[in-house]
Amino acid sequence: MRCADVPLDLALRPVRALAFRLPGRPAAEMAELSQAEAGGGLDMLEACERTARADLRRQFFLHALDQLRRSRLFRQRAAALAQARSRTTAVLEDSGYIASHGIRGADPLYSELGELRFLAYVWLAERRSARRFAAYQRLMAGDPAAAGMFAEIGRDGLLHVTYSRAELDLARQRGEPVTSALWAVRRRCAWQAWMRFSRRVGDLFAGLWLAVVYLVVLGPFSLLARLLERDEPGLLAPEADDRSAAQRAWEQA
Amino acid sequence: MVAACSEERFSRVKQDAGLPIRATRWCLAHAGIAMEQVEAVVWYEKPLLKFERILVSQLLGFPWTLESFRRTAMTWLTDKLWVKNALCKELGIRPERLLFGDHHLSHAASAFYCSPFERAAVLTVDGVGEWASTSLWQGEVGQPLRRLAEVRFPHSLGLVYSAFTAWLGFRVNEGEYKVMGLAAFGQPRFADQVRKVLRPTGDGGFAVDTRYLRYHQSATESYSAAFVDLFGAPRFPGAPLDPTTPEGRRYADVAASVQAVLEEAILVLCGALHERTGLTDLCLAGGVALNVVANRRILADSPFRRLYVQPAAGDAGGALGAALWAWREVLGGAPTPAGLVPGMGRPWPDEDLERLLTELHLPFRDCGEELLDHAVEDLRAGRILGWFQGRCEWGPRALGHRSILADPTRPGVQETVNARIKFREAFRPFAPSVAAGAEDRYFDLLPGGQGPAEWMCVVADVKPDARALLPATTHVDGTARLHVVKPQANPRYHALLTRMGQQTGHPVLLNTSFNLKGDPIVATPLHALSTLQASGLDAVYLGRFRVDRRDLPGADS
Ligand SMILES: [Fe+2]
Repeated sequence: MRCADVPLDLALRPVRALAFRLPGRPAAEMAELSQAEAGGGLDMLEACERTARADLRRQFFLHALDQLRRSRLFRQRAAALAQARSRTTAVLEDSGYIASHGIRGADPLYSELGELRFLAYVWLAERRSARRFAAYQRLMAGDPAAAGMFAEIGRDGLLHVTYSRAELDLARQRGEPVTSALWAVRRRCAWQAWMRFSRRVGDLFAGLWLAVVYLVVLGPFSLLARLLERDEPGLLAPEADDRSAAQRAWEQA
Repeated sequence: MVAACSEERFSRVKQDAGLPIRATRWCLAHAGIAMEQVEAVVWYEKPLLKFERILVSQLLGFPWTLESFRRTAMTWLTDKLWVKNALCKELGIRPERLLFGDHHLSHAASAFYCSPFERAAVLTVDGVGEWASTSLWQGEVGQPLRRLAEVRFPHSLGLVYSAFTAWLGFRVNEGEYKVMGLAAFGQPRFADQVRKVLRPTGDGGFAVDTRYLRYHQSATESYSAAFVDLFGAPRFPGAPLDPTTPEGRRYADVAASVQAVLEEAILVLCGALHERTGLTDLCLAGGVALNVVANRRILADSPFRRLYVQPAAGDAGGALGAALWAWREVLGGAPTPAGLVPGMGRPWPDEDLERLLTELHLPFRDCGEELLDHAVEDLRAGRILGWFQGRCEWGPRALGHRSILADPTRPGVQETVNARIKFREAFRPFAPSVAAGAEDRYFDLLPGGQGPAEWMCVVADVKPDARALLPATTHVDGTARLHVVKPQANPRYHALLTRMGQQTGHPVLLNTSFNLKGDPIVATPLHALSTLQASGLDAVYLGRFRVDRRDLPGADS
């Protein structure tokens, strides 16, 4: 679940609409949505387990069930749209499907943000999802099953926007710093978008740099490695190691 | 042993390869100790040696390993090489208390130190650790584990089996079970071709012909064009697979062939190990020990008479082995039995479950003392149940703590569970659980296999007259991945099986892991409830409370 609308996202909208016409794109995007919703549902279950408030626990639970259901609907849609032997069918088949998204890091989102910011996050993310789903509903107008699915999901989504908004309003009345929480979440989202972007750029440069290292440094060493190569099939005697168990345990080699 | 659990049960990322931060924190919290009180933390392998092996393979593959070098350099230089720093920082470990085992030593210790044997031969077989892919050991209580011999990378039974897994369109490190299941549908008519890829060396070991393989030079591909010339076009992931069609038949035959050649290689290793030790008890670990069909073959055809298999035979069990090794051999700890039972993970007391269900405003029934009666009534009515009881399991199998249960004697139950819940390949049968003492009525378990059968680590022949009674849990070759349940291992599940026996005459249940396809096994009641909503389960028993799917909001029809 990603949150704020970044300006780039808006600017890219016409481009995305065009890109959506490429073969395989709708299926791939439905698969991406499915992964994102599954990850969001897991975040929500974590929040449900951790919140101290009984009323929010139920709210988070229902929200999680909705997100996981959305994830399944998107997945079904992706499977129906995907051409046989496409990358999407392979991704859908892969049971590491959620691994590429899911929850990362030691702390679940709820613990990382705390309750108020988590609610701010939910509100922003759901509002953004509602806009995205509406956009998809337009893009997929020619696919009645998808349009129906998005209409139904839109109704659920409205409930999520409403409850999270109501919670933020109540918090504001209690004097909690809602505005700063919203900005903190927006900043976090922008920071994460920046990190994703810079990571990509960084990976690109690191890749180029590593290619140079590979050709220039590893090249000569590869000759040496080949000279010293011992291909030893079959059962071998273990290498002698006269270190004590304690000494060995200390070392990483 | 106080607690043990895989990170995937917390992170919900199947076979999570990240650092086990949340699992570690939970274990400490459960034991009620702080990290400062921990005398030693043991990592299960030597990161520098592993890096060395990867780098050398890439040097040898120059200039065809550029892509693989870039990938591994990115992950190793940013992440994996600094495992010591990361662990110390994330978990607050004092660096001088962080120790490093050796990959195969960790596997060997996980098997021997959990086994009931005083002396035993130990065989560890996996993809690869640092350099070793197979090791032969001798264990004796009070003595350090003695490494007798090893086979080194790129010669690897696990990696060759994984290459076939990938060629068959399954996910490496996970779809190996499917290859094993598919093998029963085929004939090993490609065994000679497989022997070109993997051949015995005559000294008890084996060699692979790397011309057919790519795993030693690529991060993403495991077999080469020559492999495809030998076996034909690979199966596309997700494409239909029906062993009754000619194409499906070919895949099944290749699966049968690689399974047969794997078993041959393991038997040869067993012969060499027996010759060197003269012992008749064998402990097994490493990912290949999860091949329950090969384990039966060891009992049937090797010189070993009794078998112990570490249930978490894959790398998850490495953590346990590393800790047991350091306890016994580095810290000089007492040789007390490890005390491994199926449920070593997080428990959920009934009070917590009741409070949770109440706060969620979900209608539920408190079955109290009549829990077993209600569950048996459900099962007899053909309902499919989620069974969430006590502590989460150790290892990849559901053993009656986080299980999906059904009455295996009902016709069509396999199809129902597959269609409504697991969505898995129709060629894979489900496992039967049977109350200890009744297994002989239905199964011909080979002598020496009782221990592994308590952990679903070996297959047994289903007696011919029981096959018609238990179609859902009998594989096409007449075997079953049996789970024998003793009261001391899981009292409530044993009681359920016994009650089922009293009412139906058969103390047997279909037992499959409580998860949706692709998810890790459920760990918390919330995962269980979301699975109930998402699947065609009829009800879930959370402790003594029954929740009906019809009472959940938005349950899929
Ligand atoms: Fe391993």
